[in-house]
Amino acid sequence: MTGWRQFMAILRKDLIRELRTREMIISMILFVLLAMVIFHYAFGVKEDVDLTYFTGGMLWVTFIFAMLLGLNRSFAQEQDERCLDGLLLCPVDRVTIFFAKTAGNLIFLLIIQVVAVPVFTLFFVHRGYGSDIVLFVVVLLLADVGICALGTLLATISMNTRSRDLLLPIIFLPLIVPLLIAATAATTTIFATGASFGVLGTRLLFLLGFDAVFMVAAYGTYDFAIGE
Amino acid sequence: MKKLVSAPALFAAAGVLLVTGLLLAFLYSPMDASTMGYSQKIFYYHAPIAETALLAFGISFVAAILYLRSQNDKWDRLGVVSIRLGLVFSILVMATGMIWGKAAWGTWWDWEPRLTTFLLVCFLYTAYFVLRSVVDEEQRRATFAAVFAIIAFIDVPITFFATRFLPAGMHPTVITSSGTGMPGSMFVSFFISMIGMTLLLVALIRRDLGIEELRDRVADLKHSIGG
Repeated sequence: MTGWRQFMAILRKDLIRELRTREMIISMILFVLLAMVIFHYAFGVKEDVDLTYFTGGMLWVTFIFAMLLGLNRSFAQEQDERCLDGLLLCPVDRVTIFFAKTAGNLIFLLIIQVVAVPVFTLFFVHRGYGSDIVLFVVVLLLADVGICALGTLLATISMNTRSRDLLLPIIFLPLIVPLLIAATAATTTIFATGASFGVLGTRLLFLLGFDAVFMVAAYGTYDFAIGE
Repeated sequence: MKKLVSAPALFAAAGVLLVTGLLLAFLYSPMDASTMGYSQKIFYYHAPIAETALLAFGISFVAAILYLRSQNDKWDRLGVVSIRLGLVFSILVMATGMIWGKAAWGTWWDWEPRLTTFLLVCFLYTAYFVLRSVVDEEQRRATFAAVFAIIAFIDVPITFFATRFLPAGMHPTVITSSGTGMPGSMFVSFFISMIGMTLLLVALIRRDLGIEELRDRVADLKHSIGG
């Protein structure tokens, strides 16, 4: 029970801090929207070009890069103000810190997506996917959990190194590629042709497995990652 | 283990097996039924190198777990050494794979699951060394490296599985759970090459471990005289 209260306290702290300054969320949203404009000009090589089969890739590349911004920020603040030392001095299980941080990052990513997905749909998706919306949300959530869990673990490591935010993309991107492949394939199918749980079954299971495996891995190694 | 076989003997045994494997591949194993002809012979090195690379990463995974449990520097050294060698072998896998690809499919590069996996593995384990280079404190460096080595090794089969979501590749599946798919004469050459390659890895790990140990001792000595 105390674990749950500690979890909520850390999460609440992160949310309040972000909602007061809004610097992370605003930069992430702006980044995502700007990336869409760039994509339009980068891929619109001729008039009426059909970008449908690129949509999944465009969407997830944007989210992953936006998340890199967010992850760096979420720990940079902790270190600049020496918040983390205080947090580590508290009688809190290290793993609780991990889950609270992951949940915080997940909430920020979801806020970004609530803004970005409708705009993205308006810009690039020509086929209504209303009937697949539940499926789309499931893909989104499963992929988000994986991105945030792995991202939080690696951001914890990278903030403790000399090069900090420079290191995160180098260690995060190669590890996240499998999730990116599955999420992209599933999203493109939904946007392009529509799909059912049966059609995307393997991909959904894969995403679920990815989340579970890295949650367990992070659970086992976070004590070491956060250091003394 | 150190007393059991001397280092030169291990290298020599690996060399003899690798040469024997190659000779058998050309002289004893049947010619490939497809149009590849002699180019197919690269298989007898390509597949053993791939398996040895994965073995090296497996060793680093075990070493990482042992390091986190014991904080003993020797496991960190084993981790660095095996990942470095695994990376060299992975690059060789890609090189031989590309040569094979050019001969068999007429293209140097194909986004085929196994080739793609090894490409990503190369990035992944290169990142391991980047991570090591940006942490100054020794114990912390070893701990972070161990955490990353564990996560990276878990990611290897996941990556391989995920690359299957791409359109099907052209890579032949020779060894499956139901058998090796090789006639006996092919298997003998392949098996000898594989043992030779594994011995080579063991010999290289042993030699590199010795070098790393010496390096650590030199650093300690320098430190103790205030250098």
